[in-house]
Amino acid sequence: MTDTIPLAEAQSLVARARAGDYGALEHVFRAYERSVYTLARRLTKTPEDAEDVLQETFLEVCRSLGKWRGEGSLWGWIRQVAASKALMRYRREKLRATEVLDDDVAERLSDDVPLRMDLEAALARLPERSRTVVWLHDVEGMTHEEIAELMGMTTSFSKSQLARAHQKLRAWLGGAEEGAGR
Amino acid sequence: MNAERHGTTEELLAVRDGEGSGWAKAHVEACAACAAELYRLEQVRAQLRALPSFAPPRDRWAVVAERARRERRQRRWSAVTGLAAAAAIGGLLLVAVQGTDPRQLQAETTLRSAMERSQAMEQVLKGVDPDARALDAQAGAAVLALQRQLEAIDTRLGDPARWDNDPARQAQLWNERAGILSALVDVHTTHVAYAGL
Repeated sequence: MTDTIPLAEAQSLVARARAGDYGALEHVFRAYERSVYTLARRLTKTPEDAEDVLQETFLEVCRSLGKWRGEGSLWGWIRQVAASKALMRYRREKLRATEVLDDDVAERLSDDVPLRMDLEAALARLPERSRTVVWLHDVEGMTHEEIAELMGMTTSFSKSQLARAHQKLRAWLGGAEEGAGR
Repeated sequence: MNAERHGTTEELLAVRDGEGSGWAKAHVEACAACAAELYRLEQVRAQLRALPSFAPPRDRWAVVAERARRERRQRRWSAVTGLAAAAAIGGLLLVAVQGTDPRQLQAETTLRSAMERSQAMEQVLKGVDPDARALDAQAGAAVLALQRQLEAIDTRLGDPARWDNDPARQAQLWNERAGILSALVDVHTTHVAYAGL
């Protein structure tokens, strides 16, 4: 998405918020709550998880407004916080799970899908890491370097996850002929 | 590079993103299958971007704002108590070095007493567990007004220039703080709409 608050207005709002003006903070919340929730829905498993990410994201924004230097876009910074919160939740769940399927196993299982599906369903079926990378890169416009830093991986990892995600989507959605053998 | 092979998905994605190698760009120009695949990758990205956004099912602002206020108060409280403790220790050291000035000693005693009163009220308020209580609209507005007064007092206590390093003035601020905390306890204990959430 594009930034809904122009940079100069964002700088002014953040300055007011840092001084304790909750009206300014609410303005920021209202401007980005839908975008943060949508990002969280794409990166987490359930609507309840996404709601928690929304809340944790804006609490962190309230705590850490001083870290936004007013140079890059405010949405870019908030998006980074939201993605980080969603990934933390995913890691916590993975640690907590007693019988965890790693992404490779999950991917092999997800191959057993003979029917064509729509994009929404195909996206939801992608393994967590692939879905996260494809969403952050193709929709949010984050670079592989930014994604690698966020996920604690290499840029090669981000690129290969993106390719794997698109190969899966291609198989599930149909499309071009298979002749190229990629 | 082998000119006979097709581009991999990763190579074609790089071309799509404007970062492809010279070979991959030239290959796509010459190979209809890879050009079609590149077009498909562009289409998938466009379709992903066109997926609908989601509206949060509930308004979370009230919860976020309340928790942010509480954290802010706690941070300020820590800063204020640290500063006050440092000031009290400084005062005691001064007394020890300069000998016992009865007026100075009286001021320090009054200050310590006011601080202790405020701290005691803080504990009473915590014991009431205000976060587990729901208030009606009128009581909620009263709590909000009292919290703002508390924030204003904390701001003044955190800035020694605001009380001219005068222990008597500082003690007065601590007493005002205790009074506001006491009023908060009253509101939470007498205007509860329902409790035990």
